[in-house]
Amino acid sequence: MLTYLLRRTLLMIPTLLGITLVVFAVMAASPGGISAQGLIEGNLEPEARRALEDYYNQRYGLDDPLPVQYWNWLKNISPFGSYQAESASVAKGLLKTPDMGTSFLYGRPVTELIAERLPITLLLNIFSIPLVYLFAIAIGVQAATRRGQSFDVASGTALLALWSVPVMLAGILLIGLFASAQNWHWFPESGLSSRAATEMPFLPHWGSVWQVLTFIGLTIALCVSFVFISRHSRMGRATLFSLVGALAGYAMGSSIGQASGSLLLPICVVVLAASFAWIGLVGSRGFCTVFAILLGTACTWYVAFNVLDQTLVPGFLLDRLWHLALPVICLSFGSLAFLAKLTRSSILENLAADYARTARAKGASESTVLWRHVFRNSLIPLITVAAALLPGLLAGSVVVESLFSIDGMGKLAVEAVKGRDRELVLSLTLISGVLTLLGYLLADLFYALADPRVSYD
Amino acid sequence: MTESTSIAPQPVVNNSRSSTLQLVVRRGGARFGLAWIGLLVMVSVLAPFIASSHPWVMRVSGRVSSPLLQNLTALDITLVVASLMALLVWLLRLPPVKRIGTVAVASLLCFLVCSQLVNPSRLTVYEQYREGLRDGEVEWLIAAPVPWSPKDYLRDFGDTGLQPPGSHPERLHLMGTEENGADLLSRMVHASRLALGIGLVATGIALGLGVLLGGLMGYFSGWIDMLGMRLVEVFEAVPTLFLLLTFVAFFDRSLYMMMVIIGLTSWPGYARYVRAEFLRLRQLDYVQAAIVAGLPLRSILFRHILPNAAAPVLVAASFGVASAILAEATLSFLGLGLVDDPSWGQMLNQAVQSSTFNWWMALFPGFAIFMTVFSYNLIGEALRDALDPLVAENLAAATDARSGKA
Repeated sequence: MLTYLLRRTLLMIPTLLGITLVVFAVMAASPGGISAQGLIEGNLEPEARRALEDYYNQRYGLDDPLPVQYWNWLKNISPFGSYQAESASVAKGLLKTPDMGTSFLYGRPVTELIAERLPITLLLNIFSIPLVYLFAIAIGVQAATRRGQSFDVASGTALLALWSVPVMLAGILLIGLFASAQNWHWFPESGLSSRAATEMPFLPHWGSVWQVLTFIGLTIALCVSFVFISRHSRMGRATLFSLVGALAGYAMGSSIGQASGSLLLPICVVVLAASFAWIGLVGSRGFCTVFAILLGTACTWYVAFNVLDQTLVPGFLLDRLWHLALPVICLSFGSLAFLAKLTRSSILENLAADYARTARAKGASESTVLWRHVFRNSLIPLITVAAALLPGLLAGSVVVESLFSIDGMGKLAVEAVKGRDRELVLSLTLISGVLTLLGYLLADLFYALADPRVSYD
Repeated sequence: MTESTSIAPQPVVNNSRSSTLQLVVRRGGARFGLAWIGLLVMVSVLAPFIASSHPWVMRVSGRVSSPLLQNLTALDITLVVASLMALLVWLLRLPPVKRIGTVAVASLLCFLVCSQLVNPSRLTVYEQYREGLRDGEVEWLIAAPVPWSPKDYLRDFGDTGLQPPGSHPERLHLMGTEENGADLLSRMVHASRLALGIGLVATGIALGLGVLLGGLMGYFSGWIDMLGMRLVEVFEAVPTLFLLLTFVAFFDRSLYMMMVIIGLTSWPGYARYVRAEFLRLRQLDYVQAAIVAGLPLRSILFRHILPNAAAPVLVAASFGVASAILAEATLSFLGLGLVDDPSWGQMLNQAVQSSTFNWWMALFPGFAIFMTVFSYNLIGEALRDALDPLVAENLAAATDARSGKA
């Protein structure tokens, strides 16, 4: 195992060299290339321009021959050696801290820039990845256990369709419908927090304890009564859901920004009432209970924000969540579709396996076979894919971040490439390269851990 | 080596190619996908006839002329000729290799001839027809179904930028107008060429590179494999979009550059598939027999191994077309696509601008991208299911039973 690890790690070095070399070559071979002229903007006196050019050339070594530039960058980035570019302190040892250099665009150290942007991208992914796994496993298991039935066929087509939706289309539609002032202005259009939120306390709070108590009481009362009605009878829950749906449709239709036709109000009411009633009629008992609780909570929130009192301060946490909602949806739906399909096929494969048949033959119930035997084995490909998500986790999504103007790693990458920032582009390439290769290695290791039959010796 | 008593593997693909295709076509999803792609192909071939400011036929002071035909480019004519040839060849039922060869030779000849003979005027004044009709100079004209060219910015109507459909009763813009004032429907029609072309050519480049490198890696293994896999990892480890951004930002933008770039960034997947298949197949008896018989390397690689390795690559390729189209749309959306030529992604970019939501700019191009990508994915999935022996058997049995009972 150890030799395997060592071999893989050593093999990473030529790959990383290749990656940075490819990107450096592309940058250098392009018309214009990497030069000091590109960094100077605006009209300057010829002398001033020359002086500035000399300064940049001297500072970043831009007038060196290209191989020398690449070699210098390598020397700075490598953890071995005793030479350091910026500081005069010469370390005696074999190891030094790698120096990523200074960004041309921002004039700041690359490490500082990355340390600034990384938490934002991480935040987005911390919300989206558990969400994706939760929904993907739920849908995949449902589809696999009802193979060939209408749910399987419908969810299969829907997932493929979801996988085909371009991220930018989803983002544009979400922004246009739910964030634009023309339609429903429910969510913020861009950014990660509103200006007012920086002065708010972390948690939401009201003016007095009474209101908090009213709020909690209302939540409990509504949820309990909804659940009670929904568990009573199928007709009861259909009626309740359609009633709530009609109210929600009325709220939705009347809160639309533009007066784009009075026809929209009845359409909203009818569509929402009908679809909620359909959920009540078709959905299983457990699902409807969860749905009733969700509806109860949503109703309470609506009342709390619009009817009860205006003294509610949402707080920093809620404000942040409110800003994250749309970007997280955009980030998750594609991988959700992919993972749900993966879960389905993996479970199907294991349900047909010999050990599942043995379990059935000894008298285990179908649910025991599914959850105790098949489910655990089906998780193996999901674990492997999780490791491959690592680079995406930190590299960020270029499209989502630029759509919602979130200053994460993806946007930094676009800015670096557009600004022809040698140090930043090379550093980001190196980081994403290391992460991808680490992801592959981790995937293989996880595979061996999860499946004892696999070994790499 | 012990004598192998194992039965030689059947050359699966050759025998069952037609039945595989039938299985694919029998699936509803694939049929839907093929129908949409077919429609798109028709629209893109006939684009200059469907949407153009040049009238089909007009009569000016007693002389009947066809400005539309006069303004066709060599590419337009070649596309029409090539598709007519394809139809003809299909009707004649020639063997597959001859079919492809005939169409390719005919279209190449046509392109060479046309590029010598046809030279449409580079600068077109689209307003002349409308003004001529208004002044009575043009006696009558038969306009194209969509009487606007994609680059006709309607300067004679003043500022027509970003108008929703139906905002001007006297000018019919079924899908509204885009940022610079051109008709959106016309641009949509012409952009279908870009989407289909990029999808096919970029995937073709990636497929060619992947099959060549993957095949060599798998067949020779050893240090060639080692080197090749490092190269694959190099291209896989840089996120595709990042590599695309870098390439596009540092080189000039042209249609062919985009195709090459998207092709260059997406070959490693195919190389992996082909390598795995070649590694498996080269152990088999029939390949060993071919080597012992002293066949040249070219013959072993491409006539004996490749046909049996084609199945998984074909599935990957049809998903690959979808992702190439998505990649082009994403690049255009980020403002790194072609500058003036219509592209669906670039139109999407105009949908949300300075916090106004232009719904027609989101709905129509978005729907077109979605449908095209969805179609290719549907076809890919149907292919995969048809080639998967377990699923294919079930499906064939089910359809046979259904048709037998009916």
